[in-house]
Amino acid sequence: MSNYQTHITDVLIIGAGLAGERAAIEASSHGLDSIILSLVPPRRSHSTAAQGGMQASLANCAMGKGDSTDIHFADTVKGSDWGCEQDVARLFCETVPIAVRQMAYWGVPWSRVVAGKKTLPNGQEIEDTKDKEGLITGRNFGGTAKWRTCYTADGTGHTMQYTIDSIVISLGITVHDRMEAISLIHDGEKCLGAVARCLRTGKLNVYIAKATVIATGGYGRLYDASTNAIICEGTGMALALDTGQVPLGNMEAVQFHPTGMVPVWILITEGARGDGGYLLDKNQHRFMPDYEPVKKDLASRDVVSRRMIEHFRKGFGVDSPYGPHMWLDIRHLGAKHIDTNLREIANICRNFAGIDPIKDLIPVRPTQHYSMGGVRINSEGFAYGLKGLFAVGEASCWDLHGFNRLGGNSLAETVVMGMIVGKKIAEYALGATLEYTSDVVEDAAKQQQERIDGLISGRHGREDVFQVRREMEETLMDYVGIFRTGPALQTAVDKLQVLHERAQHLGLRSSGVGANPEVTAALRLPGMIRLALCISYGALQRTESRGSHAREDFPKRDDANWLKRTLAYWPEGAVLPELKYEPVTITELPPGDRGYGESSASSKK
Amino acid sequence: MSNRTLTFSVFRYNPATPEIKPCMQSYQLKEAGGMTMFVALTKIREEQDPSLMFDFVCRASICGSCAMLINGKPRLACKTLTRDYGTKITLMPLPVFKLIGDLSVDTGTWFRRLSVKTRAWVHTKKEFDPTVLEERMDNATALEIYEPERCIECGCCIAGCATANIREDFLGAAGLNRVARFMVDPRDERSEQEYFEIVGSDEGVFGCYGLMACEDNCPTKLPLQYQLAFVRRKMAVAGLKR
Amino acid sequence: MLDTGISPQRSMGRNPRIDLYLDLAQLISGFLLVGFLWTHMVFVATIIIGADTFNSLAQFLDDYYLSYVGIPFIGLVALIHVIVVVRRIPNRYQDYWRHARTIMHFDTWTWIFQVVTALGIAILASIHVFAVIMGWPIDADTSAARMHAFWWFYLVLLILGEYHAGFGIYRQFVKWGWIKRKTIGFALKSITVIIVALGLAALWVFVQLGGALR
Repeated sequence: MSNYQTHITDVLIIGAGLAGERAAIEASSHGLDSIILSLVPPRRSHSTAAQGGMQASLANCAMGKGDSTDIHFADTVKGSDWGCEQDVARLFCETVPIAVRQMAYWGVPWSRVVAGKKTLPNGQEIEDTKDKEGLITGRNFGGTAKWRTCYTADGTGHTMQYTIDSIVISLGITVHDRMEAISLIHDGEKCLGAVARCLRTGKLNVYIAKATVIATGGYGRLYDASTNAIICEGTGMALALDTGQVPLGNMEAVQFHPTGMVPVWILITEGARGDGGYLLDKNQHRFMPDYEPVKKDLASRDVVSRRMIEHFRKGFGVDSPYGPHMWLDIRHLGAKHIDTNLREIANICRNFAGIDPIKDLIPVRPTQHYSMGGVRINSEGFAYGLKGLFAVGEASCWDLHGFNRLGGNSLAETVVMGMIVGKKIAEYALGATLEYTSDVVEDAAKQQQERIDGLISGRHGREDVFQVRREMEETLMDYVGIFRTGPALQTAVDKLQVLHERAQHLGLRSSGVGANPEVTAALRLPGMIRLALCISYGALQRTESRGSHAREDFPKRDDANWLKRTLAYWPEGAVLPELKYEPVTITELPPGDRGYGESSASSKK
Repeated sequence: MSNRTLTFSVFRYNPATPEIKPCMQSYQLKEAGGMTMFVALTKIREEQDPSLMFDFVCRASICGSCAMLINGKPRLACKTLTRDYGTKITLMPLPVFKLIGDLSVDTGTWFRRLSVKTRAWVHTKKEFDPTVLEERMDNATALEIYEPERCIECGCCIAGCATANIREDFLGAAGLNRVARFMVDPRDERSEQEYFEIVGSDEGVFGCYGLMACEDNCPTKLPLQYQLAFVRRKMAVAGLKR
Repeated sequence: MLDTGISPQRSMGRNPRIDLYLDLAQLISGFLLVGFLWTHMVFVATIIIGADTFNSLAQFLDDYYLSYVGIPFIGLVALIHVIVVVRRIPNRYQDYWRHARTIMHFDTWTWIFQVVTALGIAILASIHVFAVIMGWPIDADTSAARMHAFWWFYLVLLILGEYHAGFGIYRQFVKWGWIKRKTIGFALKSITVIIVALGLAALWVFVQLGGALR
């Protein structure tokens, strides 16, 4: 019985955010047929939520003078705490200026240089020169030596996504929205496509392709408090992990953004601090300069987040029913600036917290924000372990970000990767032939149908999907947060293993008929818990502190033993991930001190 | 803190079970401080009825997924606070768009068709040259493009629009605003006549009655009256010039 | 395949500019009618100053044949206006009705009254014009007698006419203009209030006059 529809294409892209769509454009411009699957209409992707901007060393604005790809490279490597692949970082930094200009050519209304003298909030006088007027300008972001974050007012992700999507539409690329890939089809060597469940009807669809691309974004929603959209559940990473062949890289590297708004955890962009906003404690004292005299409120995100927690522990947090928080102060930037350049922030404050940032302080706390880890691919986008499988964007780990991502490097990464990897995908697909046996495909589809039937019939048990899920979220939040310790991580692993077992016995409370949301959640949950285990177990094993991975019991970076990347595999039937390690590629910049943070370099005290 | 108990009257219909007719179902929920419709509906789904269909993505009024009729008015559910309402709240799916189930409607397909119909991308004969600097643009122009570009395609303007409710082919404020965005973009080389082909009819700008429910219901507060009038004047001139 | 945005049926079958022309015809005829209506009301209101002023104005319009050109012209404009606005009434008016009831939106409701007032005006204004022409020439006494007898008729017509004109012209400003809705709405409401006040005053004077004649 084949109760599903089959689609055949050259390139199957799972995820219609910036990275996925950019890769599709590349494939399409090489004359290939491609289909994009997406949980939601492309323009609803989480990429649109990135307000801040995209780093590119254009050196156009006054404070970006003298910038170069070399400086961008150094910032990125330092930001990653030497965890990144330096060849990838180099390639990335060289390509971003082209990518940003291509986005301009396609229609992004980048903010431009306006010539004239200006006074910064700290009193510094700067002058944008006439010769640069009308070129793409940049703003200040954390962890960068120059102002290079290109932006469109307060909606950079939005304008980029809409622009890329407009090109996808103009090229006539097929998008199947509300279609969720729930497993990859493979024969142990080659990826052949994916089985997907339609979120309109609940029916299964089979997609067969020469090349399959995972572009599903991050896993923020594994955590209880995340700035991510609720669709960011790491589903694509779980698909790759579940093949048993493909490893996930550095899953323990989880970024917390310093300024998630309490208690709704909506992101207040780094642009707020970049434009001159700063953090205050309960005495309304600006505490960041005490810890970070040079970068102050604009040290890298991992550092600011940790300093905030340190300051909480000293009793300087503002108490609230949702736990302690700090204040973000942007009042001094003035109504005009807030209502144009930071309008989105102003709206969020007004709509979701009932406060006016022109007059009021914004309650903020470090909140889960970004997944540095993901499907481990090489510098050309090929996934480890399976031919014909690729990954792009936050879902992937070609490893640009190492253990901490710089603000503005993720939007940049999406389009740069779409461009570079997209080309490699096209070359691969042009040279590949579509060979598959119907058995493999039939089996894959049947297996998924059985999963769904099992859930509906309740024959595996009656565990409640939302209950198990909530316990997973709380476990990660409580034991795998910003500061980590061996015992806490061990607790997390133990708890998650129990939850993983319980997740094998989920049963529905509803009928499960049609596009039933309980089925959707139940299908995702076991994979999510496996990701949570990769994060926790990887963090437990890594006995050092690096970037966002801060072990209180091992506070120093340990380059002698840990200058390497974790690779997490999940063999079929396993109860824990199998961890392997590989060296980090260092081509130019040997490990050293970041120049901010807790002087994590092992060479120093 | 509130100690109200809210009663949600929610439209229910699952196309997979056509034998069960559409109906309104009631759910009771204790109100929490700062509760939004997102929080409320998620709680209802997780604790009372896991089959309830609705759409949220960003839950921060950025993505435009969660528009629905709240007490008859098109609103983004994620940024609607329960405290602004009485204890009885009626939730209906947006009209005009195809129903997927319960409160979930297919805005994606509708807006995709719109983009195709209005050819909503920059039309240029120039080729991209990776070796040269970007073309210069006045920052004021960039901001002028960004203003209509801010539309999040949530569908509130369409659901509120009398014309869109009456005639299927009407582009609506979202469509006309999108066209306005390309009209002010110097990179788009389309002539007025080409735009006239797209919006110079009752299907486009001349189908607007001027009731401005679009502007009144726009959660992004886009200046839609201004954008629609701009397109109308431009199209009138184009049409009279020939 | 991509829709090119150009439908061959549409571009071949009918003039692609027809919708623009109709819309412009609605705009221009509407403006002319509003202009006429307001002028008309100001002229009528001269009765407040005195029957002599009123009569000499009527005489003046008559002498210079302005009435003989004006009345048929306005009749024609009104006819055009009716023809072009009828296209706005939905084929299935139930659709609009259902929509208006679901979406509690002020302007959407005012438009329903726009249709209702239009129908009212079409009937009442025809009767009025017929009555005036039958009693030609216009003079204060005959008018006063008519209004004394049918004051309720004129009261209804006055309110319908001003409502329709006020909202009609407001809607055109909204659709074409760059003036904010609030601003233009306030200006037009003020004008409408003045005109209605003038109309009521004139009507009152006429009714008094008509009463005295008896």
